[in-house]
Order: sequence, then C-alpha cells, then structure tokens
Amino acid sequence: MAMLLCSAFSGAAVAKEEKVVKVGVGAPSGDWGYPSPFAFYPRGPGYIRMSFGFDTLTWKDQNGVVIPWLADSWEMSDDGKTWTFHLHEGVKWHDGEPFTAKDVKFTFDYTKKQKIAFKWFQSLDYIDHADIVDDYTVVIHLTKPFTPFLADIAGDVPIIPEHIWKDVSDPSKFTGYEAVIGTGPFKLIEYNKNLGCYEWEANKEYFKGKPVIDKLISMAVNDPAAALTTGGIDETSFWGQSAEAASGFENNPDFGVRWGPSYWVLQVIFNCEKYPTNITAFRKALAYGIDRKEIIEQVVHGYGISANTGIIHPDTEWYKPDLPGYEHNVTKANEILDSLNFTDTNSNGIREYPTGEELEFELLTIGKYSREAELIKSQLKEVGIEIGVKVMDWSTMDAILKEGNFFIAINGHGGIANPRILKAPDWPASTFHNDDYDSTFKAQEKTMIVTARKELVGHLQEIIADDLPVYTLYHPKMCCVYRPEKLDTWFFTKGGVGIGIPIEMNKLVFIREEAVSTPVPTMTLPAPTATPSPGPTSAPEQPGFEIVFAIAGLLAVAYRVSRRKK
Amino acid sequence: MHQITKITGYVAIILVVLSFNFFLPRVMPGDPLSFLTGDPGMDMPIVLDEEMRAELLAYYGLDKPLLQQFYDYMLNLLHGNLGWSIYFNAPVSSILIGRLKWTLLLVGTATAIYMVLGIMLGTISAWKRGGKRDVGLLTFILSISSLPSFFLGMLFIILFGIKLELFPIFGAQTPFMRYSTPFEATADIFRHLLLPATTLVIAHIGGVYLLMRNSMLNVVGEDYILTARAKGLAEWYILRKHAMKNALLPITTMIALRVGFMISGTIFVETVFAYPGVGILLYDAVTYRDYPLLQGAFLIITLVIIAANFVADIIYVRLDPRVKHE
Repeated sequence: MAMLLCSAFSGAAVAKEEKVVKVGVGAPSGDWGYPSPFAFYPRGPGYIRMSFGFDTLTWKDQNGVVIPWLADSWEMSDDGKTWTFHLHEGVKWHDGEPFTAKDVKFTFDYTKKQKIAFKWFQSLDYIDHADIVDDYTVVIHLTKPFTPFLADIAGDVPIIPEHIWKDVSDPSKFTGYEAVIGTGPFKLIEYNKNLGCYEWEANKEYFKGKPVIDKLISMAVNDPAAALTTGGIDETSFWGQSAEAASGFENNPDFGVRWGPSYWVLQVIFNCEKYPTNITAFRKALAYGIDRKEIIEQVVHGYGISANTGIIHPDTEWYKPDLPGYEHNVTKANEILDSLNFTDTNSNGIREYPTGEELEFELLTIGKYSREAELIKSQLKEVGIEIGVKVMDWSTMDAILKEGNFFIAINGHGGIANPRILKAPDWPASTFHNDDYDSTFKAQEKTMIVTARKELVGHLQEIIADDLPVYTLYHPKMCCVYRPEKLDTWFFTKGGVGIGIPIEMNKLVFIREEAVSTPVPTMTLPAPTATPSPGPTSAPEQPGFEIVFAIAGLLAVAYRVSRRKK
Repeated sequence: MHQITKITGYVAIILVVLSFNFFLPRVMPGDPLSFLTGDPGMDMPIVLDEEMRAELLAYYGLDKPLLQQFYDYMLNLLHGNLGWSIYFNAPVSSILIGRLKWTLLLVGTATAIYMVLGIMLGTISAWKRGGKRDVGLLTFILSISSLPSFFLGMLFIILFGIKLELFPIFGAQTPFMRYSTPFEATADIFRHLLLPATTLVIAHIGGVYLLMRNSMLNVVGEDYILTARAKGLAEWYILRKHAMKNALLPITTMIALRVGFMISGTIFVETVFAYPGVGILLYDAVTYRDYPLLQGAFLIITLVIIAANFVADIIYVRLDPRVKHE
C-alpha cells in the first residue's frame, strides 16, 4: 500500500511499462557487501550479487554443464598446463569501453598480485601468468595441471576492466561507482548497506541478450512468507525447516514453487586424535546409535533427506551410490561397544571406560543445531553413553575445533556439489589424517579424464564412509516460491552456480525467455512428506481474539475491585 | 574548580572504558577471520591455509603486538578515525552513523512519547489515589507493559501489518523509493516508524508511570502541599507549581539512565521489525568478532551514557535549587 501511495505522488518515478522483480531474503541478512569483485562478503549470496554485474570466461547452465561465456571457445594443451581462450568479440563494459584480451590478462595478474583481495576462492596459486596473443585471444599458463580449472577458476574469477582497476592499490576498499563497472547483464543503481537492499537495472546491450526484466531489486525482509503474501516481494527461497512455509503456497494458483538441492550437509564431527573417538569401531558404534530419520522428522519436519555417508550430495555427478550406511541399530551399537570393553559394570545405565570412569563426554554445537544435539543426546543415552550438550557461538566453536579440544561436535556446511570440499572432510577441525586419502585427493585434481576422476572422488567417499571421521546426518531440502506473472524462469543449477552455490539466481534466469522445464536430476528427490502446517494467513486469527479477551478480563477485574472499595 | 574535577572525572571514565573496549573483545575465543572466511550458513567453507591467514591478519593489522595495536587505535581515535570494519568492509564511523540515526529516531520518538505519557498518567493516578481511574490505569498499564517487547511487536505486525494491511511490516523506509517531496519521505518514514515506536512505548511506559506515581504520592503527603491547600490555591496550580517539580526529580535520573541503555537495548524490536539500528549492529559485531566495529559501538554507547548523565546533572540542578555545587 505504501508503494501505491508513493507512486501516486511521484507519478513519473516508476514507468508503467517497467518490469521490476523484487527478491526477498530473510532479515537480518540481505546485506552481502558492495557487489564489486573485491568488496562483497565472501558468501554465496554475495558472489551471486556480484555476478550480476561481472562475467567470467565460462559459466554453467541449468544442467551444470560448462558453457561459453566471455570466452567463445578454448583449448587445453596436452600437459594440462596451458589454456587458450578465444574471447567473444563486441562485448562492452558498462561505461562503453570495449572488452578485450588485455582485460583478461590484467584480471589474472591483478588478482594474483592482490592475494587476499579476491576472497572467493583461493587457488589462484595455480595461475602462473597470462599472455595476450591478440585482441581476442589470451593464453593462461598454470603452475601445474588443475582439472577443475575450467569450472572453478575460469568460471569463477570475474573479469575486471583494466582501465579502471590499474590505478587501484587497495581493491577491498574501492567502492565507488567505478568499482561496479563490469560486462554483466545488470548495472548497479543503488546499494543500501543498512537496509540490505540492492537495485539493478538491465544492461540492454548485454552480449548474451537483453535481460527479460528491466529492474531487479534484492532486499531484506523480516518474514519472507508474509512479504510474499502481501506482495512486498516477488520471490524468495526456503530451506530446511523454513521450507514448511512453502506448503502454504503449493496449492495456490498465484504462486509457483520449485524444489532444488541445497548442497548442504549437517554432520557429526569426531575427534580422530583423541581417545575414545579415535577408535574407528567406536565411531561406528555411535553412528549406529544415532537415528537420522528421527532427527529429520523432528527437527526439519521431513524437509530433508538422509545424507550421503560420503558427504557429496546425491544430486551431483560425483555422487557414489551404495556406500556403507549406518542405519539406526541399537543392537549393533551395543554389540560393538561391548566388544570394545565399554561395559556397564555398575548397572546405572551408563557404560564405563575400561579404566572404570563413566563413559560421558561433551558434544559441542552452535545454537542453530541445538535441537539435533538434544536428540542425539537422548539417542545415545539408549546405548549407554552420557552426552553433555554444550552450545556456544560459532567463533568460539571454530577456535576449539581447530585446537582439537573436543570429542564430538555438530556442524553444517555447504559446497558439497564440488569435490574440492573433500579436501578437509572434518572442517573446521583437522584431526583426520590418512595418507591414502590425501594422495587420492591430490590425484583427482590432476586427472583430466572425467571417468577416472569420478573413480577417485568415489574412492574418497568410500574412505569417509569406512573410516567415519564425520557422520553425516541430513541434507535439507530447498525450494523457491515466486509469483509467475512477475518472472517464472527460476531454476536451480545442477552442481550449483559458479563453484557450487545452491541459489536459484543463476544469471541465465534473467536472460531466458521461456519458462524452464523441470530439469531431470540424476537422483529424484522424494516429495516432501511433512504434515503441512497452517499457512501464514491462517495463523494470525488466534492471538487477536485471545488478547482482546485478556484485556477485557483485566478491565472487568479492575472495575470490580474499584467498586468494592467504594 | 569543581567543574574541572568533574570533567577530569568524565575523561578518566572514558579512558578506562576505552581500554576495556579494546581488550575485552580480544579476550573472547575466536577471531574476526573465522567469520570472514566461513560460517555455517548456506555456504562453502573457505579453508584458509596458513599463508592466506597470515596475509589477512597482516592486512587488518591484527598481527602486530597487542600494545602496539592499542597505541595505534588510540592515536587513530584522536584523529577521529574509528577504524575499518572487518566484516562489513566499510569505515566504522559511516556504519555507526548510518545505524545510529535510525536508532535515535526510533528511541527518541518512543522516549519522548512514553516520558510525557508516563508522567501525565502517573500524576493522574497519584492525585486520585485509590479511585476508579487510578486502579483502572494501574491494572491496565501494568498488564500491557509486562508483555515482552518482541511479542508485542509480532502481534502488531500480524494485526496491523498483515491482517489489516495498514502499515508496512519491515524496515525503516520503503527500499529505493524515489521521493518527489520531502513530505513524502517523512510520511514514508513515519509509517515505518509507527509500529516499532508504539511497541517500545508500551513496553517501557510501565516503569515511568509507576515511578511517577510513587514519587507523586510521596510529594502529596508533604507538609507544603497541605499548606498550599490551606492557602486556598487551586488544585491545578498546586499540581503544576509545587507537586510536579518535586516529583520529577527521581524521574530525571531514571530517564538519564534509560536513554543510555535504550541505545543498545532495543535489539528485540529492531529484530522483529527489521529496523536497522545499533542494537542489531552490536549483536552482529559480537557474533562476528569484528573488533573495530565492537570498539566503535561500545565507544558510542559509553559516550551517550556519559552525556546523558552530564545532562541529567545539569537538569537536576535547575529543577532543584537546593542542590548546589559545593
């Protein structure tokens, strides 16, 4: 209603024909930093917003396939250390200057020199130097062969204009209008840090085609479901437990709902250096004692799937199926613990160490996962282990895990569509040491043949499932809810956008004309089985009435008391 | 003379507080880098190798010895440079000013309203103590004031924002509105301000009302009131000229304290209404271990509280001529 009033006053401010799409993010986020290549907050949504204004050499389409972007084609040398890119001709920067090979060379040289400025991602050590062959051909030399180069570096590093950045010495602090001049489909009009809002207008001369909308706005809202209902925003996403809100929109003809993989996992991290969690069998016993199904039902109300024991998300090409699982089995857990001599000698329900002390230790976690922690505590009690749940904030837990001063912890992270995540399976701890694992990881980074690389990545998952440095719990489900008449081309990129960001705002969404047909995933995710909760519009009926009655009651009491005094 | 001692006192307090502000956040486990490069959000963990970590620490000046950092910080402060926020990647002063103006607007409006209302209602209650009005007011105000502020906030959002669609439900202003007149801008800000301000007023009015009521009751029992009545002065006149002035003394102290803490304490209301204030900023700064921002925010709060105390001192003297500087 505010919008109507204001547009009535301002008249010409918002042209009638303009197509504006507003994307909402749950507050307090919404602010992901200034969308220049060096100033955005190193988070997925921050990178995405930067990517609206800047392009990379390659990009990924809906099916996760690497497609030409700023580069039309490329060749790799036989030793894998030299990549030649043939750039698209006729691309212009937002300020009208032409895009050429010198910008590409400058980008890689500059980012390498300003080591910590580009925070998404590192691995620029792989780049040795870049050479210009002619205006539209550039050769990049690597220090050693790096198979993921095409997707993870050429498809990740935004190309910046040499004529602007060559005089900038501190790129992280450079946040003027010039800092967001890129080649991308959108030009930044305004960014408000406090309100967590971004506004872009379409780049009508975009080389891949004019965007299908005129303006794009991203803003923070305190309740995305409510804002979507009232029309304050046109699209938002939900995942995990909050995905319950989507059930209120599923059968509503005014809204569209699309489901996708969140590429996120919640896992129990074991300390593989400290007794007793350094015993592999002990870790397996704990895994058998944990009931993942109960956790998924109770905490995320069915909006999650049992996780792959090998961490990699099932909806990717790297997923290795049929890994050993540890389905909830109290008998088996008890068997293993008995065989390890952790028996309950004094019959108080809790086992003891062979030395006689009670088998109890602490489970660390952060506030977000305290419910999972409590469930695991009660589940492990059944097999005779006493767990004390200790909840703390992220920075504290990060420090403790890095020191190795814990037994078990619960933590979650994303990025599990990309094999690079397997470098440190028990991040942020680092107690897992396995030579076979480390050498396999290094090998898969160099293996060019995809089938061979998949084998190696599969082997990594096998080791994780066998050695169990972490026990994965679940992958939350994720969906986006949108108003089709505003824009209905939203899709979830297979394997994630860029290096694996699971957000539904791949730039292609804004350039495609026709509605997207549902992509065929390698693994069909089971439909949500949760009991739908009442949608946002039905809940508010209750409190209004109760409060009115309460106040009326109080007034009545007051009146009677005063009457008695007289 | 006493003025100088007083000012020296304030300066000493500020210095002590500054030192605390500096050292306390660094004592907490964790450091700014843990949030800069990875937090358990939807995201990919950025695994930092030692070299990157060292480079980042050097870039933010966190690798220097602690005392050196303290010295640099104090020196910068003297030049008015509050430092650079690690998480928000912007100068601390600009972040603070941006948030402070909204908090001051919200808190200022709410404080002005509940002060006046609380004092008025407290006086009415005390003047006719035991009467229907008094008991009615007492019960009503106590009950609504005991509701938690965030609950009230959410209730208002549901009732007025969603069901009746009278007011916007988040933010301080409609994002990217191009206002053609300042009137329009004020109107928009006002509409966004109404619900959060009302929530704050209801949440805090109980305290002021009760204190005013008690204070007034004490005053009413004094001899000089009896004398004034004996002199045949009008009730209204006695109320204004004699009773109010005396009853307001404790209120002044209370409000001075309140104002200081309100700056940081409105975090519940700010969260519920997504109002970009200092409360939320503080919470974020602590979570992210953003040392420069934390120091800046605490400094501002300290300065505000000290200023409030200072102002209260002066007002107190003006209200009560019996209090003289020795």
